[in-house]
Amino acid sequence: MDLIIIDYGSGNLRSVENAFSNAISDSSLKCKIIVTSNINIIAAADFLVLPGVGSFPDCKSGLQNIKGLNEVLSEQVLFKKKKFLGICVGMQLMFDYSLEKIKTSGFGWLSGNFNKIKTFGLDYLGRDFKVPHMGWNSLLLEKDNHPILRHISEKDQYYFVHSYCLEGNQSDQLIASTNYCHQIPAIVGQENYLGVQFHPEKSSLSGQKLISNWLKWSC
Amino acid sequence: MLSTRVIACLDVHDGRTVKGINFVDLKDAGDPVEQANLYSKTGADEICFLDISATYEKRKTMFDVISKTAESCFVPLTVGGGVNNLNDFRELLKCGADKVSVNSSAVSNPKIIKDSSDKFGNQCVVLAIDAIESETMPCGYEVTTHGGRKKTNIDVLNWAKQGVENGAGEILLTSMTADGMKAGYNLHLTKLISENVPVPVIASGGAGNPKDMVDVVLKSGASAVLAASIFHFGIHSISSVKKEMLKNGILVRDCEN
Repeated sequence: MDLIIIDYGSGNLRSVENAFSNAISDSSLKCKIIVTSNINIIAAADFLVLPGVGSFPDCKSGLQNIKGLNEVLSEQVLFKKKKFLGICVGMQLMFDYSLEKIKTSGFGWLSGNFNKIKTFGLDYLGRDFKVPHMGWNSLLLEKDNHPILRHISEKDQYYFVHSYCLEGNQSDQLIASTNYCHQIPAIVGQENYLGVQFHPEKSSLSGQKLISNWLKWSC
Repeated sequence: MLSTRVIACLDVHDGRTVKGINFVDLKDAGDPVEQANLYSKTGADEICFLDISATYEKRKTMFDVISKTAESCFVPLTVGGGVNNLNDFRELLKCGADKVSVNSSAVSNPKIIKDSSDKFGNQCVVLAIDAIESETMPCGYEVTTHGGRKKTNIDVLNWAKQGVENGAGEILLTSMTADGMKAGYNLHLTKLISENVPVPVIASGGAGNPKDMVDVVLKSGASAVLAASIFHFGIHSISSVKKEMLKNGILVRDCEN
């Protein structure tokens, strides 16, 4: 099995590669990781991971700089049903559009859009809610029978760092959410494609558990 | 609900930790990679490396430290010290750093904050501010550089606000007066900045025991607490800090996960 981490000039590729490689060896799966921007290799992959840090428009333009990548991704994911994971901005790109800096369209595989996290009031200790939403937060399991959530409970915490969040409540797409001033979608997806707003590659053992669930998931 | 972060900081000089950890289970007390791994295994929510190497050549060893740490340490890594331009940012991020902190370089070239956040996103730009008390500054604190040795005539509050406007995603606020004294954080300074900037503020400088960390969260509203020496000597562990925080109603991440 080949797992592709898509290199489009954005993202902490090294960290993603390290975390996936560790999860693969821990769960004794047979899977080779390739970090590439070559669309022929991407088209031949079994599993696809799209990382993303930075702003939505920058990530989008990074993708567009690789000729044919958008089309190949949509074909592999929507028609060939390849297993896909979008991380942070990689997850945001799966939706219709984001309003970060300037309205920018995503792939439109899932419906919804991203807008600045709205905060009001104070937290349980009387502190302001800061943006970015930065740090470790737990999940509210919406579809607790989903294979990605195997052995994951509300005790597990994940590392979030984002200023924009998904708006529009498509409950059929929502697998888990998190609570920061209000409820924020944290794991979303449909069929063979999933996206996580947090960084599983930076989420210690809980992150490793989620990555290995995704690797073992037969969608 | 978001946990309050406990961050372990390592001062690295020419690729070796300056204040070694006195733990029995470490083979090499001066190896920052081994120390970072131990901290992350015992519940540190983030690891912060501060490179205090004397020369640029020696600073390159930091790339190696970050790469090796990132191979097995799956928590966010922040690196600071000697970061002067976008190329330094790029190199550190490529090795596996998640955030880069700027301090003196932002004072001599404030544009670095805007340029780096435009390029790499504001989530990875940490503005580190070393503050000292100063009666001549409107907010009562002055920004210093070079480990507190050089005064800048810049007001800390204005500097923090300006940094955030330019794209810093977080403030690492150190009281140089409290630093190393182990008598508690500067609560007044931390509260002043926390309440006036929209981004997370990390309290640093002065932690002597777990209670100090509780105080700076409850009394000053810090989003995260950072400490170096109290962890190094094994007097207080990350888990004892988290236990104390939890006892005082502060949510923390379970050290086992």
